[in-house]
Amino acid sequence: MKKSLLVTASGLLLMQPLAHANVDISGYASVIGGRVLSGSGVEAFDLPPTFLANYPLVGVYEKEWTFKPDTRFGLQFRANLMDGLSATAQVVARGADDFDARFEWAYLSYDLNDHWTLQAGKKRLPLYYYSDFFDVGYAYLWIRPPADNYTWQIFNYTGVNAMFNYFVGDWDISGNIYTGREDDKENKLLSQFFGSVPVREIWKDIVGGVVNLNRDWLDIRLTYMTYINERYRTIDGIEERVTWGDSLTRRGKFAGISVNMDFGDWLLLSELNRLDLDGSKFDTYMVSAGYRINQFTPYISFADFDSENEKHNTTSLGLRWDFHSNAAFKFQYDDVNDKGVPGWEVAGDSKSVSFGIDLVF
Amino acid sequence: MRIRTLIMAIALLSASALHAEPLAIVVHPSNMAELSGDDLSRLYLGRSRTFPNGDSAIPINLAEGMPARERFDERALSRSSAQLKAYWSKLVFTGKGTPPQEAESHEEVLKLVATNPSIIGYLPASQADDRVRVVMQLD
Repeated sequence: MKKSLLVTASGLLLMQPLAHANVDISGYASVIGGRVLSGSGVEAFDLPPTFLANYPLVGVYEKEWTFKPDTRFGLQFRANLMDGLSATAQVVARGADDFDARFEWAYLSYDLNDHWTLQAGKKRLPLYYYSDFFDVGYAYLWIRPPADNYTWQIFNYTGVNAMFNYFVGDWDISGNIYTGREDDKENKLLSQFFGSVPVREIWKDIVGGVVNLNRDWLDIRLTYMTYINERYRTIDGIEERVTWGDSLTRRGKFAGISVNMDFGDWLLLSELNRLDLDGSKFDTYMVSAGYRINQFTPYISFADFDSENEKHNTTSLGLRWDFHSNAAFKFQYDDVNDKGVPGWEVAGDSKSVSFGIDLVF
Repeated sequence: MRIRTLIMAIALLSASALHAEPLAIVVHPSNMAELSGDDLSRLYLGRSRTFPNGDSAIPINLAEGMPARERFDERALSRSSAQLKAYWSKLVFTGKGTPPQEAESHEEVLKLVATNPSIIGYLPASQADDRVRVVMQLD
């Protein structure tokens, strides 16, 4: 994050300080530990007391202390070329993946004019409010965005993205339109948590858009995305196509609204989302409130997932302490209530604690 | 001992006086832009890339930890340094923006602004000289 002027290196550059290619390196890290205090598990699946803190990455806490589920490191390289062109790559290593470092972002960016920027490459799918900066714990209040909302198995895509920035009166209006696809050869959530055989998950014909409206302390975000789902399962080494009724594919339509208020010392955050998957509805919402007392922000949060069979919610209490100019300490208590119909439970009820440090550099 | 105490007292007093000094928002003398407080915060929050007249704008920050920077964050952007860092980390790591570049001294701000009509900067009002034009003052 910390940037110093290249121009100090040479007086000659003073005339055109941004006209020379340079590479910025920035990064973030979260080191989080936690454990389940008590939980029901799910007897039918032989699942011990478990807190599924991160669905897509299968970040799982059990009754032993662990630092793996939420710990991660990210390093971003951004080459600033001339005239609005830049190339960015982000490498992320996660405890949930045994710190196997991977390029999760790799894209070119070009400023078309003062209002529009075009990007192409691999990026995070900006479904929910926190989806595209889910990994950057320092940028938000809690230890992690509420797990009950951020449940979808696909979180990246490769394609193109057009971003815009305008203002009308006192309102800043920004957003983006994107299209692309993701082919996850062995999806972690579907292969390892919700199943036991390798599942290849494809989201194709992805088309989506986001609009942000900002004014002083008010921040409103609207999101919509549609895609076609295709899935394959490998049993005894043979890949077979998954069908839904007579259909080889499913269409998903995702829509959501988020309203956030940062008013004086109060912070009120909310999200309401629905995924319609060939008529089946999956509804999620979240409300959080925090109150800043100098460097301390205690918070409460409630998040809910509701569908025909899968139903669960989480109540969280926590504290963020900005103890350093580049780092925050967080402590959080999570109480998960799994009300899924028999056979559709996720991980049962659980009460857990986690704590740790988020930093950016 | 007494003298040392006195010197320290004076140093502390002058430091707090400097802290309370108004900030001058400065541009190149040839830059005739008129700015509102909203325009200024848009530029420094990465929400606009141009002056209100459409000319391109390059905001320059003072380095983190400098008293005038803290004052600017509070007065112009109504945010604490920690809030701004969280705000920028969201933009930086999602490819939506990069924070303004930073100058290490007031003199560097003056030099940069004096040599490029697109650059906008700020510094304690008493330090602005005729190399720059004061476009706004923040008390």
